[in-house]
Amino acid sequence: MGLIQRAVEARGVPTVSVTVARDVTEKIKAPRALFMPWPMGHHFGAPFHTVLQRRVVMEALQLVQTAETSGTIATLPVKWAEVRREAKFLTEQGKRL
Amino acid sequence: MTEAVKSLRQTPLPQDPRETGQQLRPGLWETVNQRYPGSMITKADYVPLARLAKPLSQARVTLISSCGVHAKTDPPMDVCHPFGDFTFRRVPSAARHADLIIHQLKYPHDDADEDINVIFPIERLQELATEGTIGGLTRNFFSFIGYNMDSARFERTVAADIARAVSEEEHADVALLAPA
Repeated sequence: MGLIQRAVEARGVPTVSVTVARDVTEKIKAPRALFMPWPMGHHFGAPFHTVLQRRVVMEALQLVQTAETSGTIATLPVKWAEVRREAKFLTEQGKRL
Repeated sequence: MTEAVKSLRQTPLPQDPRETGQQLRPGLWETVNQRYPGSMITKADYVPLARLAKPLSQARVTLISSCGVHAKTDPPMDVCHPFGDFTFRRVPSAARHADLIIHQLKYPHDDADEDINVIFPIERLQELATEGTIGGLTRNFFSFIGYNMDSARFERTVAADIARAVSEEEHADVALLAPA
């Protein structure tokens, strides 16, 4: 994935990735990344938690405007335990946020 | 109480990364590379940053993911080939979850099967475009499978082809990437 990000950036299109593997992103030297301390397959959070999904997307897109150096890795300090609690509540209620 | 038990009780329990906000699978690069030698790579240099010359509210956004999602009407990628599949799929950005399916074995996608947006936030991007927070979406998004045992070939084929399509076919202003 980092190889694609580098190839797109090199063509003049600014990129940002959302990663759950900070070490992999550091080694491939991705131009910009938002690190989420979440499990693989859950980069944007939990099912039907649309508020959180949107927040991750927007934080990532804003990084395109704010990152000043290539290799910037920002993070969103939302712990997976919190996400699970909220996701469990949503599932129990049969609701969407 | 024996000395051994006393010693155990004094040893702090390892902290749960779900509670501390650390990477949930530390050392992922090393463990994957042990399992699939040569599959994980490093780069020595940074790519110079391209700049966004317009506000997000005017920017056309594309989405690229290694999650293996594709339109149900398209053939799936080959998840069984020992070297991986060096092709990619275009996913119409107007698609709904019901139009799409994930075909990939290398990461858990049970939750993504419930709600595709946890790994491929296509509906969130559609909403952001409709309300004008972002300028719009490219006609197509991009998907492939993140299991490839020949990184040089991957760079020559999938990476180069997607990069060309993103800039020359879709004229994207910004690319959001989700490495599953």
